[in-house]
Amino acid sequence: MIPLINTLNILLPLFYLATFAVYFYDFQQGGKKFENSKRLFLFFTLIIHFLYLVLRTIEFNHPPITNVFEIFTVLAFAISFSYFILELVTDIRGTGPFIIIISVIFQTISTFFIQDLTEVKEVLRSNLLGIHVISALIGYAGITISAVYGVLYLILYNEIKLNKFGLIFNRLPSLEILERLSFIAAIIGFVFLTVTIIIGIIWLPQAFPNITLLDPKLIGTFIVWLLYGIGLINKFIGKWRGKKLIILAIIGFVLAILSTMITNFLGKSFHSFY
Amino acid sequence: MNLFAISINHRTAPVELRESLHLSENEIRAFIQQTKDNAFTEGIIISTCNRTEIYAIPRNDKISLKDLEDLIKNFKSSFQVKDENFQYFVSRESIEHLFRVACGIDSLLIGDNQIFKQVKTSFQISEEMGFAGALIRRVMDAANRVGKRAINETAISEGAVTVSYAAVQLIEKIFSNLQKKSALIIGTGETGEIAAKHLHDRGIGRLALTNRTFDKAEKLAAELNTAVFPFSNFKDHLYKFDIIISATSAEGLILTKQDIENTMKKRNYSPMVLMDIAIPRDIDPLSKNIDYVFYHDIDSLNIIVEQNLAKRKTEIPKVEKIIQEELDNFFEWYNSLEAAPTIKTLRDYFESIRSEEVEKNINKFSEEDKEKLEIITKRIINKILHHPTIELRKFSDSDLRAEDTAAKISIIRDLFGLDSKNKDGK
Repeated sequence: MIPLINTLNILLPLFYLATFAVYFYDFQQGGKKFENSKRLFLFFTLIIHFLYLVLRTIEFNHPPITNVFEIFTVLAFAISFSYFILELVTDIRGTGPFIIIISVIFQTISTFFIQDLTEVKEVLRSNLLGIHVISALIGYAGITISAVYGVLYLILYNEIKLNKFGLIFNRLPSLEILERLSFIAAIIGFVFLTVTIIIGIIWLPQAFPNITLLDPKLIGTFIVWLLYGIGLINKFIGKWRGKKLIILAIIGFVLAILSTMITNFLGKSFHSFY
Repeated sequence: MNLFAISINHRTAPVELRESLHLSENEIRAFIQQTKDNAFTEGIIISTCNRTEIYAIPRNDKISLKDLEDLIKNFKSSFQVKDENFQYFVSRESIEHLFRVACGIDSLLIGDNQIFKQVKTSFQISEEMGFAGALIRRVMDAANRVGKRAINETAISEGAVTVSYAAVQLIEKIFSNLQKKSALIIGTGETGEIAAKHLHDRGIGRLALTNRTFDKAEKLAAELNTAVFPFSNFKDHLYKFDIIISATSAEGLILTKQDIENTMKKRNYSPMVLMDIAIPRDIDPLSKNIDYVFYHDIDSLNIIVEQNLAKRKTEIPKVEKIIQEELDNFFEWYNSLEAAPTIKTLRDYFESIRSEEVEKNINKFSEEDKEKLEIITKRIINKILHHPTIELRKFSDSDLRAEDTAAKISIIRDLFGLDSKNKDGK
């Protein structure tokens, strides 16, 4: 089974790249040539990716959530899968390339560095950890999508203000829709990050009796969670809207990425598992 | 095929000459009445602000394109129009030109789909006046197909190509649902009226008007069932609206940047669109520097119009391809309207029915009767087809015009469904 897993590992970035290319071509050219068929590309890629994740889980006897490169491949899947559902539900088709490119990046990094890990620490075989990580991944997918729609909002906002009526103006949905999509994705991200943090608080003392609350990952995640919380409260009470909220969502996303990178590549944290 | 067409249009004649040959619906009816009993047997007359075109089949070979031109000039007493102001087409060229007109690539505004509706209305008039025969019906069927295919298979009609449509396109890039938005039109002159009607047609949630002459605004408001504010205090109500369209003939600014800033504060900086389509401008252009204010004037709307027109032009080759395909299809059908191929197709059709039925029932007969069955059924078919075959041969031998022969053969082909059977067979 390992040769098949390795082949799929190599093919996945190519599939994502091909899907991105079709979405990008459709975005650039418009028309009806790939309007529907591009979804099939994404669907096929997601099926292959799902198969890859299942095969890894069976072969290595643990879900692929035990190190950062396993998490990157699940994150690539979660982001594209969330977008696929979003596209089906809303029928807003012009934003695909901007989301799928994120999956291309995460999957490519994962493909290069992922290892065939059969031995994992006992502490990582907990069910609570499983829920904790899955919830964190959905949360990260949410804030990633929220940030992408936020960036698109800012670009379109400026293009309209500056009378630039190019490709972005012609292909993207309205500012109101982009703002709403960013907001909905942020709510999903916030809710799942909350669940992640709660489960972490319950599970951590059991797994690591000597845990310190000054762990960089804990601090980073808490700051991100706080930022989104402040933003969403202000949106609900009608105080903030548009650009302000969107810039906050983008800052939250950048902080989340930085905190993950610092934790796993630079700093010493109990979140670095390998 | 002896189909004539003459056209006076925006490329061949200035507006005053086009106006002199413009035909109202009643005039089209009167012209058809006068023409169909004399020179032409069937046809279509299209008359819009940019073109007047007559497509007609002459009653005999002595009638020429010049006669068609003289007919319309005499009818309108418009003798200042010269030959060079007309375009002339015969046969395939006529049909090709009609197709180009129907799909909008011959229009002043390329891809304008209003013309498609006008062509259909013209055909309806011809039908009502008994001036649309079998051939013109077929031509119109094909023209309809060209028009629909051009809209569905190309982007020839996509994007706004007038300032008022461009304004709506721009508004729809900011707000997702016009039904939940409100708009105020300042100035109810011609431009303001068009903008108001346009937003009303697009289903704007709430529409209000204001005008220096209150009565004029009230009149339009009654027509559109909207609110009216007195011009003296409309600024007090600005904050209630998501979209402001200003189209007055005022000499100076009527809304300063300070007015807009005050309005935005009252709106808690909820996005607001300002469309200044007045010349000279009504709203201080510096308003665009305020957050969440989307200020646009005629120049910015013209950018959208120019871009969309350029994009439509790139679609013309795709439309030309559709036109050629449909022309080929039409003439494939038209060429089948000769006597010899029709006789063959008709006989093949009857023979296929006979052999099918014989095959189904052959086992019910004894060996010696099987041969008799073949002979008898063939004899029946021959007898049935004897008279139609003689009559069809007469069509090609007689002095009938090709169009009359084609029309008669077309009826026979339609009656027995010979064309659909041919296609199925393919």
